[in-house]
Amino acid sequence: MDMHEQPTMPWQGGDVTQGQGPEPQGVSQPSTGATSARRAGGVSRRKLVFGLAGAGVAAAVGGVAVEQWLQHGGLSTHGPVAGDAQIGHLLRRAGFGATPEELATYTSLGYNGAVDRLINYQSVSDDDMENRLKALNLDLSKPQEQQRWWLLRMAWTQRPLLEKMTLFWSGHFTSSFRKVGGGNAYMRMIVQNQFIRSHAFDTFDNLLLGITSDPAMLFYLDLTKSRKNAPNENYARELMELFTLGLGHYTQQDVFNAASALTGWHIVGNSTTARYNPNDHNSLTKTFLGHTGKLDYKDVINILANHPATPWFISRKLFTFFAYENPSNDDLNPLVDAYVKSNHNMGEVMRALLLSPQFTSPKAYRSRLKSPTEFVVGAYRALKIQSNGSELPGVTTLMGQPMFDPPNVAGWPGDKVSALWLNSGTWMTRLNYIDSLLVRAANRNNASSPVDLQAIINANHIDSPEHFVDYFTSFLLDGTIDQDRRAQFIDYFNTPDTGRARGGSVTLTNGKSYPLNRVRGTLYLIMASPEYQLN
Amino acid sequence: MRLSRRAMIKDGMLVVSAGMIMPAIFSRGVASAKTLASEGAHTSQAASDRTLIVVQMAGGNDGLNTVVPYTDALYKKMRPTLALTENKVLTLDGRLGLHPNLAPLKTFWDQGHLAIVEGVGYPNQSLSHFQAMDIWQTLDLNGNGGEGWLGKLVSGWVDQDGHPFKALDIGTQTAQALASISSPVPTMANTQSYRLANDPFDADGGNARIQALMKLYNTYPKSSPYAALLDTTALNAQEGTRQLRAADAAYHPAVTYPTGPFAAGLKVLAEAIVQGLGLRVGYVTLGGFDTHANQQATHDTLMKTLAEGLSAFYNDLMKHGKADNVVVMTWSEFGRRVEENGSLGTDHGTAAPLFVLGNPVNRGIYGEPPSLSSLDQNGNLKYTIDFRSVYATVLDRWMGASSKDVLGVSFGSQNFLPQS
Repeated sequence: MDMHEQPTMPWQGGDVTQGQGPEPQGVSQPSTGATSARRAGGVSRRKLVFGLAGAGVAAAVGGVAVEQWLQHGGLSTHGPVAGDAQIGHLLRRAGFGATPEELATYTSLGYNGAVDRLINYQSVSDDDMENRLKALNLDLSKPQEQQRWWLLRMAWTQRPLLEKMTLFWSGHFTSSFRKVGGGNAYMRMIVQNQFIRSHAFDTFDNLLLGITSDPAMLFYLDLTKSRKNAPNENYARELMELFTLGLGHYTQQDVFNAASALTGWHIVGNSTTARYNPNDHNSLTKTFLGHTGKLDYKDVINILANHPATPWFISRKLFTFFAYENPSNDDLNPLVDAYVKSNHNMGEVMRALLLSPQFTSPKAYRSRLKSPTEFVVGAYRALKIQSNGSELPGVTTLMGQPMFDPPNVAGWPGDKVSALWLNSGTWMTRLNYIDSLLVRAANRNNASSPVDLQAIINANHIDSPEHFVDYFTSFLLDGTIDQDRRAQFIDYFNTPDTGRARGGSVTLTNGKSYPLNRVRGTLYLIMASPEYQLN
Repeated sequence: MRLSRRAMIKDGMLVVSAGMIMPAIFSRGVASAKTLASEGAHTSQAASDRTLIVVQMAGGNDGLNTVVPYTDALYKKMRPTLALTENKVLTLDGRLGLHPNLAPLKTFWDQGHLAIVEGVGYPNQSLSHFQAMDIWQTLDLNGNGGEGWLGKLVSGWVDQDGHPFKALDIGTQTAQALASISSPVPTMANTQSYRLANDPFDADGGNARIQALMKLYNTYPKSSPYAALLDTTALNAQEGTRQLRAADAAYHPAVTYPTGPFAAGLKVLAEAIVQGLGLRVGYVTLGGFDTHANQQATHDTLMKTLAEGLSAFYNDLMKHGKADNVVVMTWSEFGRRVEENGSLGTDHGTAAPLFVLGNPVNRGIYGEPPSLSSLDQNGNLKYTIDFRSVYATVLDRWMGASSKDVLGVSFGSQNFLPQS
């Protein structure tokens, strides 16, 4: 529907004039010239991957960030966000919220240890999720089943940041099943999704190389239609405007020339693979962003990944998505540093982001509206809903986020301005989803049943209305609600049911019984509250 | 049938207990009305029976194959496979014709209810979807805009209480033209989904739960993140549900709408108009116009969807006696390149025609179709009418608003609407 500009240009806003961000430039770096371009052209994908093996550099970057963080207050008790809330905040932003058990696991690691566990995801097995998904026998050539598959991954994963990064990159390197070829070609969306997932923390160069030759992307932005003598400029333009530089750093001539340099990639027939055809590559000499030579796609990507505007652009987008909107250049400095020093390793950029004092500052806390995915998956995870997930795609769609189908190549407007996720229509859809988890079987075609509150009460020895409210708010709202609001929840729990209790009752471990509708109504109110709409 | 929010509270529909904080929107509404009055600013009223429907054709509609310069030899020359020939187009005036699938719009033309504004664009047009959409929707020519022009109009209304559907966006995401942090516009795909579910075990039909819920929003501290947005959202949902439920029961469409989400969306807007929900701005999007490759089949279908949907909508309003109160305006972020590309499609272009439709409209073609022999350096058309003068015309002559206040600057008017 609507389109939104990427959040803010690096040169936008007051502090840009202080020289922290790059100058906007129509044509950049004339000094490097043809020689460097040709050298860049010789860099193979493998070499690019090897380039990031400078682990020492990466560690040093992490070290600097930690030091800065400690200097800014770090984990101290008078620090920005209280210790308990920090892990909840981290798991909401770098994941999809948490169960009480997950909170305990990550809390025991300390904040830095928790960040390590999230980024070093290979150390945590996700076999259980893979097996559960396999057992569903989903037909991944169907968009609806793809949506379900992806949402269930987010709901079941033990690698929350990996899935969150996959969601982020999918909103950045967008494609949509609506323009991917139809029929069996729908599978291209899954191929792309898996590529993004397996390279989520890779170098930005490798992400760009992979996405440029990704079949879904080749189709979505028409690069597969681009011919040696008839370059299609769609991908070239978005590659610069939305994926790497942002507006203001290139000219229309750069778009023409990049389109020409990018020719050669095509999808093989109706398949999910792509092939580079040197005979369909326009090998004439061209000038792109000040580099002149017989440029090809590797040169274009190399030039873009090394362009000074790129780390600012991608850091701004990451920071906005994970921390808060309208960051200053100071906020972005640690991310840009990490990008440069780690040879563009996105894992190190993420580490710098999550360890920055800004990330755990009060300014970041509850500073974004939950996206539909965060809301739907978050509630599903936290309440440990057991279902086959067939209800999930329709719910996120009604809330404004159909998976694999962003409104346009700029991705989800709400990723940049989260307030845009909310209006009276989408708000009611959120609350009705909570109602469905607690009151109704999630879906008529679904064998799931409402959350078994009696079982939770028994397992956790919940012996009073206060205990009930404290138990759920501890992991749903970080236990940081005002006394007045806590009292409103408890009041509702204690309100006598005016009619006959038709729905049976729930018994706390002190032996006292309460009407089921009041008990689950209390949990509904906690998750329908203003605070729970925020991330 | 509508009650203001204050009356609603008096009626006990929304029980606000003593000592509860006055919802932020009330005080803000009062304050802004006072400010506006003292500054002498002229904004329009939410309560009026005039409605503007905005149809977004997302992706960049090929204007040259919509309103076709079929007599121009250059058109055929630059579009060897895509050009529409004279025997296919629906002739308007001997030099321009409509795409063959726009026959329902041709009917409006014959009846005198269709205006075509030609060559609409702005200086240094952006070829980027996103920047162009930003420019059209926020009027920020750098493409960094925030609030939408319709959002500004809506949030400037001084008597908003009790009008949750003064503006309505069909779909599940808010169009940026309607973006306004202070006055979020409801989105809905259909009227059935616009209500809160109840716990069937609540003997009071869910009343106590809803009251507890609304209290959580009313007492959410004003200094907390997103306080005004959350509070307004909850109140609008509550009042809007009540109004829509009544409208659903009373509304019977007078025509059969085509299938598909575009026509279904128009039907919701018709219901809001026919049932007097106070709709002043309705917004609906038809997407898929980004025809870089194999354009013809896609574009043919979209033209058909557009024309048949608008036709059903108009006829429904006619039969309910509401057509005199409604003006429809279409827009797209840009037209397409004059010369077709090597993929049987067209790349991003610039100026394009747009439609204004309705009984109040002065039929005619306004502005000059851009010359195909004098293109810009990218092979694109040079605009002849600034889109902001189209907005100004609609705001001043139809919405009773001050276009200078909404748009920030004065732009000349076009004559496709009579002076009010």
